[in-house]
Amino acid sequence: MLDKRKIRLMVRMASYEKTNARQDMKISSYYKKDYASLNTLITILWITIGYAIAGGLFVLCNMDAILKNLTIMKMVVLLALTVLGYIILIVIYGVCASSYYKAKHNRSKQRVKKYYRDMSRLGKYEEKEK
Amino acid sequence: MGTILVWREQLQKVYAKYSVYIIRVLQFVLGLFVFGLINSNIGFMKAASTTICTLGLSVVCAFLPLIIMVFAATALVLLQLYTLSVGVAVIAALLFLLMYIFYFRFSAGKSWLVLLVAVAFTLKLPLVVPVAVGLLAGPIYLVPTVFGVFSYYMLHIVKTSSSSFKTGSAGKIIEVMTAFTKQVLTNKEMLLMMAVVILCVLLVYGVRTRSADHSWKIASVSGTVLAVVMCIVGNVVMNMHIAYVSLILSAVAAIAVGLLLEVMFLSVDYNRTEYLEFEDDEYHYYVKAVPKLAVTAPEKSVKQITGQPEGNSEKNTEILKKHDDVAAAGNRNYSKNEHAEDILLTRSLNKELGIDDSNNK
Repeated sequence: MLDKRKIRLMVRMASYEKTNARQDMKISSYYKKDYASLNTLITILWITIGYAIAGGLFVLCNMDAILKNLTIMKMVVLLALTVLGYIILIVIYGVCASSYYKAKHNRSKQRVKKYYRDMSRLGKYEEKEK
Repeated sequence: MGTILVWREQLQKVYAKYSVYIIRVLQFVLGLFVFGLINSNIGFMKAASTTICTLGLSVVCAFLPLIIMVFAATALVLLQLYTLSVGVAVIAALLFLLMYIFYFRFSAGKSWLVLLVAVAFTLKLPLVVPVAVGLLAGPIYLVPTVFGVFSYYMLHIVKTSSSSFKTGSAGKIIEVMTAFTKQVLTNKEMLLMMAVVILCVLLVYGVRTRSADHSWKIASVSGTVLAVVMCIVGNVVMNMHIAYVSLILSAVAAIAVGLLLEVMFLSVDYNRTEYLEFEDDEYHYYVKAVPKLAVTAPEKSVKQITGQPEGNSEKNTEILKKHDDVAAAGNRNYSKNEHAEDILLTRSLNKELGIDDSNNK
């Protein structure tokens, strides 16, 4: 005879296996701190590349205005502003990325836990049937 | 209104039944629009601009996740731009990369909105998107919407000034890159439309989330009016050339879409609003409860009439005859029974009234 609860359990597990399971297993194989640190570092690298590209495009766009009456003082100020902007961006993205990846790790861990719980419940059903 | 609600119910039923196919078809249609519009507007590479290529890409992307369509559209755009000019392609690639680095690395699931916004702008319906985003989503979708506006104007600039971007010598590439970057980043119309989209989404979302009656209608209309006013003011102050006819048509379409979305996603009866007031240990509650409008779609019974092969017709006739005989016998029995009941009733009445002959005898 069909057991509705067992079918529901199996459907939920199959749906999870089809969608998030692979990524969640990979994420939950890390410690939370390691996962968040690693991804924050990767984010900082990407942001550095992005900032360099954005800076390059800005210079390309305003080449005439920058080169007009260029003095050493003006160059130092521009450089300082660039570094300041970079530090601000890195801090903002670093903090946001860290909390984002920590939350992501938490969610993945919870889903994996639930999946294992469902798996053990399914095992118990199987044992009962025997 | 009742008919629309019935349609909504029927639509929901159909969607629940055939959602797999409907999603594929919608993805295919979106692909047709996206790849078709790219090829018709900036189709510099003849081989990639053919109908077969558009159809093929749309079919393939219909069966893959939406993010693949975004990548395919980006690749097609870069290919077309590369055919026009290496400098333009490099700048466009860098701008796309910036979008990825600063936003889509974290939220790739929302990237389809970039395509939708670009399609709406190309179809001259720019105000539909902010109204729809404000009603159904919220400020979290602002970034992909703004990126969509940016992508559209980037391609629009390439389309309108393609002849000036054609490169010959290597020295000219830098000039083209500078000119293209300048045009893209300082485009007044693009900046105005970005501001319009941001403010319109925020206003629509802000009004929609209020508990006032008809807040969705007010949100769509007020958002559209704000967008139109901003466009007109921008036209006058910044000396731009946004066509008023298409702007008005877009505004009408935005309001119509807003009303349609309200019917589809929030159909409530404000006449039956109830105001409740109660409290617990920590709070005092003032609750406004608006009942939903619910209509059940009428069920259609379908009678299937199928043709019978000739060999069976005689048998069927016999069966039908028998069936008729049985029915007729039943009717006779029924009429007999009915007659008997009448006789019994007459007799009992006669008994009660004392006019029964047999009793008298």
